[in-house]
Amino acid sequence: MDVIQRAMLYISRKKGKTVSLFLVVFAAAVFLISCFRLLNGAEALSKEIRTSLGAAFYIRANTEVSMNETGETQVKENNIHITGKEIDEIMQTGDIKYYNPINYGFAKSDRIRFIPGDKHTEENNMGKVTALRFSALAPDFTEETAVLAEGKHITETDSGKILISERLASANQLSVGDTLTLTHARFGEADGTYIDEIPVKTAYAKVQVSGIYKRKIQDTSDKPTAGIADNEIYASLDVLNELHESAAGIYTGEVDFYITDPAKLETITRNVQLLQSIDWNTHFIRTNDFQYSRIADQLSSLGDLVKIFLVLVSVVSTVCLNLLLTLRMRGRMQEAGILLAAGVSKGQIMAGFFLEVWSVAIVALMLSYIASLCVTGILGHRMFGGLHSNLLNEETIRAGIGDRLPIENYLKTNGLETLLIYFCQLVVITVSTWVSSMIIMRLKPKEILSKMS
Amino acid sequence: MSIIKTDHMKYSYDGSRTVLKNISVEFEMGKIYAILGPSGCGKTTLLSLLGGLDSPSDGQVLFQGEDIEKRGLAYHRKNNVAFIFQNYNLIDYMTAAENVTLTSKLPPLPLLERLGLTKEEAKRNVLKLSGGQQQRVAIARALASSASVILADEPTGNLDEDTAVEITNILKECAHQMNKCVIIVTHSNELAKQADVVLRLKKGELQQL
Repeated sequence: MDVIQRAMLYISRKKGKTVSLFLVVFAAAVFLISCFRLLNGAEALSKEIRTSLGAAFYIRANTEVSMNETGETQVKENNIHITGKEIDEIMQTGDIKYYNPINYGFAKSDRIRFIPGDKHTEENNMGKVTALRFSALAPDFTEETAVLAEGKHITETDSGKILISERLASANQLSVGDTLTLTHARFGEADGTYIDEIPVKTAYAKVQVSGIYKRKIQDTSDKPTAGIADNEIYASLDVLNELHESAAGIYTGEVDFYITDPAKLETITRNVQLLQSIDWNTHFIRTNDFQYSRIADQLSSLGDLVKIFLVLVSVVSTVCLNLLLTLRMRGRMQEAGILLAAGVSKGQIMAGFFLEVWSVAIVALMLSYIASLCVTGILGHRMFGGLHSNLLNEETIRAGIGDRLPIENYLKTNGLETLLIYFCQLVVITVSTWVSSMIIMRLKPKEILSKMS
Repeated sequence: MSIIKTDHMKYSYDGSRTVLKNISVEFEMGKIYAILGPSGCGKTTLLSLLGGLDSPSDGQVLFQGEDIEKRGLAYHRKNNVAFIFQNYNLIDYMTAAENVTLTSKLPPLPLLERLGLTKEEAKRNVLKLSGGQQQRVAIARALASSASVILADEPTGNLDEDTAVEITNILKECAHQMNKCVIIVTHSNELAKQADVVLRLKKGELQQL
């Protein structure tokens, strides 16, 4: 009987021992590969945040903030707007990926009965219109208080497109692709009632429902119809122009600038504020590294946690393997004695031990690769799911479709890394087997046989 | 002519406690030898030295006139001698047949059947066999190795009287019909009576009775 036959017989007959060794190697490999994947995931996500939409600065021009004599802050509207020329100058300072100008207005439609709010009448049956270049970059969507449920986001190439809430669509039997006509409206208040300050309608815009969004929290506060969040209509910039509520190239709302690297936010805004052509007494700049600062800190903590876990798994699995193999070898003293008495050399006996352990380990390592995909997926979603959902990719913004990249895209190990993990494990297994075999093999055959009896 | 012999062989533990003193003895093919002696007198040590499980402190063990250390003790154990132990020493995860093939490429079934095991018993795990059957498997393994010398350490020590007689007869058959040199270490006078030559080990010296 040769070494291979003997090893295979041991593996197949000593099922308990084979399974326990398999499980230790398998579990250690699964956790080690998963830890490396999670570490890579943390790194990739961190990089993605830096190069994606981690931070922005906003410029508003139509409000003036001042302090009165009593020290109270006063905000008053002015007639200064941000122009396309100013935007071009700001974009030329560099390191800015997107800009998203926003105009606000109100609209009515014969086809829409808005969700009724406080003191609802037929006259104040209107909704707020937020016209912008990329709806995916609207704060409601970047902060995930709203998500696109159906259809497409509004993008820079769209015209005559709107997004409405799921609640509004359901109340009016509207779906993606439906067309309707909007007319201008202006929200006002007179004699304790909410009114439309444009009673005579002269401007109309034919629009198509591009998408339907869903708010995570339903607005239950006591607000007028026009103030209810589910009545908000996101529209392409041309819609408010057609309703004569804005003009092309002039932005009365704020303009959001999304930068390429959150780490450069301070430098970029400083450069922008150096622009002489913009009157910074009337233009108000506000920075926001909402995603970068929030996610980077969490990712760093998670990365540290994974590293600690990686060290723990390595140490515990090595100790477990050593213990298991030592016990296994001690139980094989009799067999070693019998084989030595039969003239089998120590080298052949050791080769048999190695063959058994390697055979089980290689199968465990191969299967661990598949299992680690599942484990990493579960752990990845739990650890990074919340952070990852804040990321928008190019496709979502530019084309208005597609979801965030699946978390699995970030949780990868390269082939070399996986091979290195396997190699290290095989080294640990080999050394453990060698050390535990030496307990027997350093004895003389007679000593082994006398210990046996 | 002797097949195996010792030449002024000495053995001591840790270089101080001498167990075997200047032993020179010859063993021939076709004979069964019994070595008697009280516990701890060095019977098993003598068997281990003859079998190449250990090296003498002084002197030599010669197989067919050649020092067994010349070709190596593992070679000697593999080719020249075969052991039978009191506690059978079979590999517990193998069947009877697989234990026999451990030392030989010969088909194990004819040998096992000749020693009284059925085909079913030959395919059974050794732990599911009786003591007598296990010792038969151990003898079959020794015979399958085609070694000229069979070294048996208390081969009937764990067996009942009837089975011990059967095993003794098998060992006699090995010596007389198969022309093996069978050397048995035993406490049993009954077994010793069946031997062709009886030796007594006393105070480290071997005397023929």
